[in-house]
Amino acid sequence: MDFDLMVEVTPLLIRAAWVTIDISSRAIFFGFFVACGLVFLQTFRFAPIRWFARGYISVIRGTPYFVQLLLVFYGGPSLGLRLDPITCGVVVGAFNIGAYMSEAIRGSIESVDKGQSEAARSLGFGKVQTMVSIVLPQAASLMIRSVGVLAIVLIKNSSLVSIISVVELTYQAQRLIGSTYKPLEIFTLSALMYIIIIYAVMGIIELAYRRATRYTTQ
Amino acid sequence: MVFDFAPVITYFPTLLKGVGVGSLVAIAVALMSIIGGLVVAVISIYTKKVVSWPLRFFIWLFMTTPLLLQLYFLYFGLGEWILIPAIVVGILGLGFHYMAYNADIFIATIKSVSDGQYEASRSLGFGHWNTILYIIVPQAFIRSIPQLGNNMILMVKDTSVLSAIGVAELVYASQYAISVSFRPFEFFMVIALMYYVINILMELGQAWLERRTAYRR
Repeated sequence: MDFDLMVEVTPLLIRAAWVTIDISSRAIFFGFFVACGLVFLQTFRFAPIRWFARGYISVIRGTPYFVQLLLVFYGGPSLGLRLDPITCGVVVGAFNIGAYMSEAIRGSIESVDKGQSEAARSLGFGKVQTMVSIVLPQAASLMIRSVGVLAIVLIKNSSLVSIISVVELTYQAQRLIGSTYKPLEIFTLSALMYIIIIYAVMGIIELAYRRATRYTTQ
Repeated sequence: MVFDFAPVITYFPTLLKGVGVGSLVAIAVALMSIIGGLVVAVISIYTKKVVSWPLRFFIWLFMTTPLLLQLYFLYFGLGEWILIPAIVVGILGLGFHYMAYNADIFIATIKSVSDGQYEASRSLGFGHWNTILYIIVPQAFIRSIPQLGNNMILMVKDTSVLSAIGVAELVYASQYAISVSFRPFEFFMVIALMYYVINILMELGQAWLERRTAYRR
C-alpha cells in the first residue's frame, strides 16, 4: 500500500464523490415525481393511458440502464435532444428509477388492507382525504424501505454515467488507476467512498422509517 | 429527423454476433455465480469464523460497490501481472459480482430450512456434510429459484456494461457500425429492443420454472 499516493488522490476522489452524490440525489428527487406521475396514470379509467404507463414501466425495466443512457446521450441529438453529460445522467436516472419506484409505491399502497379505505369512505372521508390521511401513512413504512433500496441501487448505477464522460467517482478512479498503476490503493479509497455514501443513505432511510412508524405498535 | 434503419440491417450480422458473445458470457456467469454462490454460502454458514468472516466481507464488499468499479479494478489490477483477454475479465468480474448476490440469497434460504430437517437426517444416520449436501441444500436451492431468476435477469442486463472494458457483446459490437453510419439512435433502439425481447423471454422462463417447482416449496 502506497499511503502517500492515497493521501494525494483523496481530494480528487472526494470532489468526484460530490458529483456522484449530486447526480444521484437529483435523479432520485426528480425520479420520485416521475414515479408519482406513473402511479397516478395507472389509476385512470381510460384504458390506453393505463396501458401507456404499464408499457413504459415494462420497457424501462426490461432494458439495461446502460443502453438507455447511451440511447439518450448519443441518439438524442438526432431527435433534437441535446443534453450535456450531467443533465443526461440526471434525466435518464430519474426516468429509470421512476419506473422502478412507481412499482414500489403502487405495491406499498396496495398492501394496505382494502377495508381501511372502505371504512374511511363510509365515515365520510373524500377520495383524496382517504388517500392522504388513511392509506398513505400506513403504506409509508413499506414504501420508505423499498424506495430506499432503489435509491441505493441508483447510487451504484450512477457509476455508469462515467461512460458518457461525467467525472464522477468511478470515472475519476479509472483515470487515476490508469495514470498511477496502483489499482488496489485507488480501488480501496473509491470503494470506501461508495460505502460511506451508501451507509449515509441507509441511515437516512432508517431515520425516516422510524419516524413513519413512531405511532404504530408492532 | 429522418430515421434510416438501413445501416442496422446491413450490420445486423455483427449485432447478432454481439448477442452470441453476450449470451456466452451470460451463461458462463450464470453457472459461475450460482455454483460459486452456493459454495460460498455453505462455507460461510458451516465453517469457523476464520473462514466465514473473510467470505462475508467479500460478499458485503461486492454488494456495496458498483459493478463498473469492480470491473475496472479487475481489468487494470490483473492487467498489471498477466495479460488476459477482456472477455475472461468480464466473466470473472460479473461472475464475482453476482456470486455475492446469489450467496446472500442462499444464506437466507439455507437458514430458512427448518432445523428439524437437519436433526431428522442426522438421526437417520447421515453425516454432517452429507446432511448439508443431500438434505439442506436441495431444499434451499428450490426456495431460492424466484430470487435467483430475478438476479439472472438483472445480470443479463448488466452484460451491456462489459462493453466498457472491451468485451465484444451487443453494445460494443455496435460501436464500429455506429461510428461508420452515424446512426446511434437507430442502433441503440434496436439494441434496446433486443434486450427487451431477451428480458421478456427470461421472465417467461422464470415464471415457468417457478410454476414447475412451486409444489416443492
